[in-house]
Amino acid sequence: MKILIIEDEIDIATSIKNYLKTNEILCEMANDTQSALDKIAMYDYDCILLDLMLPDGDGFVILKELRKQNKSDGVIIISAKETLETKIEGFNLGADDYLTKPFHLSELLVRIQSLIRRKQFNGSNTLLFNEIEVNTLAKSVKVNQKEIDCTKKEIDLLLFLIGNKNKVLSKSAIAEHLSGDMADMLDNHDFVYAHIKNLKKKLNDAGSCDYIKSVYGMGYKWQND
Amino acid sequence: MTKKLLNKTTRIFLMFSVMILLISAPVFYTISHWLYVYEADEILFFHKGAFVKNHQAEFTETDVAFWNKYNNDSKFVTDIQIEKDSLFSKMYFDSIANEEEPFRELWSPMEINGKRYTYIERINLVEMEGTVLSVALMFLFIIIVFLIGIIWISKRSSAKIWKPFYKTLYQIQNFEIDQNKKPTFETSEIEEFNQLNASVEKLIEKNIAIYKNQKEFIENAAHELQTPLALFQTKVDTLSQSTTISESESQLLESLNNDIARLNRLNKNLLLLSKIENDNYIEKQPIEILTLINKNLDFFIEQAHAKDLIIETHFKENLSIESNPILFEILINNLFLNSIKHNVKGGKIHITVKQNSISFSNSGLNNSLKMDQLFKRFSKTNPSSKGNGLGLSIIKKIVELNNWEIDYSYKKNLHTFKVRF
Repeated sequence: MKILIIEDEIDIATSIKNYLKTNEILCEMANDTQSALDKIAMYDYDCILLDLMLPDGDGFVILKELRKQNKSDGVIIISAKETLETKIEGFNLGADDYLTKPFHLSELLVRIQSLIRRKQFNGSNTLLFNEIEVNTLAKSVKVNQKEIDCTKKEIDLLLFLIGNKNKVLSKSAIAEHLSGDMADMLDNHDFVYAHIKNLKKKLNDAGSCDYIKSVYGMGYKWQND
Repeated sequence: MTKKLLNKTTRIFLMFSVMILLISAPVFYTISHWLYVYEADEILFFHKGAFVKNHQAEFTETDVAFWNKYNNDSKFVTDIQIEKDSLFSKMYFDSIANEEEPFRELWSPMEINGKRYTYIERINLVEMEGTVLSVALMFLFIIIVFLIGIIWISKRSSAKIWKPFYKTLYQIQNFEIDQNKKPTFETSEIEEFNQLNASVEKLIEKNIAIYKNQKEFIENAAHELQTPLALFQTKVDTLSQSTTISESESQLLESLNNDIARLNRLNKNLLLLSKIENDNYIEKQPIEILTLINKNLDFFIEQAHAKDLIIETHFKENLSIESNPILFEILINNLFLNSIKHNVKGGKIHITVKQNSISFSNSGLNNSLKMDQLFKRFSKTNPSSKGNGLGLSIIKKIVELNNWEIDYSYKKNLHTFKVRF
């Protein structure tokens, strides 16, 4: 999988690159519109991460160029701007998702995965992990071909954990992911524990291995051992 | 007690006029009385002088008897031993008018044909009394008309003169710095008012500039902070993946994560406040309150459950109001979150929607909160709490923007915030 990170803050781009590397995602970086446009013209990417405020211009230029060249690369805008107008403009110009800075790398990763699933599998939307099968569209979970009863939040949590397999997920990252638009209102992450506990129990009861590991002091990790 | 400017100036005028009237009437009467008497005395002396010059030398005793017979007001009597002319006022009974009348009388020693007499002449002053009185009345009438005229004119003209002042006053009273409406002052003919207007205008412009600067500063600062915050977050995330982290280090990392979340929240709230102030949310549309509360109810129930809170809802009717949907959602969310955040474990929350009002009540601290600090930015009841002290000022701002009212009360261990539409 190949991704282009268009971001003028080298440190952010590098962090993203390093985080995604272990998930077999290959990242290329561009730190201004000109080099980004050059790269887009030459290669096809599965996904483009686009910062809107670039030293030599507006990120929207790139969206317009992609459209002009009829490219189908998925685009996730990563920006500090979070006004409704910029979001709407971004979506109107063909962006697929919008992530406001600051964000957790784990959140970015599941957004990329979800975008790629939507683009590549053309609606088949199934995520497989050993004996676990998640249908992201129908919002259902099967363990060993048997459907188990999970809430929407639990499925969301499961996708987040599997998507970030082998990575340590902080409680705050999980809490923010589960709260969606309401993440800014959070001031207590204790509810994460209850969701993890419930999900763990449901999976174990259905005969799945125990993949969810607690990382002391920090959070949780999905690990296949 | 404060009085209106115009009343004050005319009041002084009025007081002065009444005083002048009170003093001038008796003074005028006395002076004209004295003048009349003086004139009468002159006439008496003049008559005597004329007699001495024209008749005294050839006057005989028969003439005296003759004179006394035909003159009523001037006669010769036998000497009553006076050395020189003397004048005095005296009342005599007038048999024709049948009343006592004032007279001025001159007694003067006179020698006729070698015999000493006293010459007496008197002038009736009744005529003077009438004249003085009617002149005084006329004078009084003129003065009163004159004063009333002056007061009326001064009232009219000062109302006209002060008109620009009142206009300026009205403009200043209606000026609000957070509403993008600068007062416009008309130029007047009076230099001082123009100066006043110019100074006020300058003051307002300066204030607006400072206010704008401050707004921009907050917005820019909040914006600029987002990039370092993002850097911070991604680096902490990267560091979290390191395999060589000890337990205590991972605890530190999680608390760093919480700190970033807190900073981020603070930053977003500041941005939100400046956006509200910059009128970014002015479009309004009808909103159904219950739909909006139910939209995020799951999230809040989840948060409340983590604290074992009981939520009770009293929805009497589905209120529909006209407002900006984004801001209204923020208002409801902030009120809801407040009632969770400042609650005690196992406490309760009551949400009541009535006609024209919504209120959130929650258990919490066992004493009432201080009203004057409540809605101030960064003011916190508990300084060490994780909140940023912006929630209520955002609520207040939204309430003000919509011309609603919010009040706080503490009854039966419940803190209540009520928004009236």
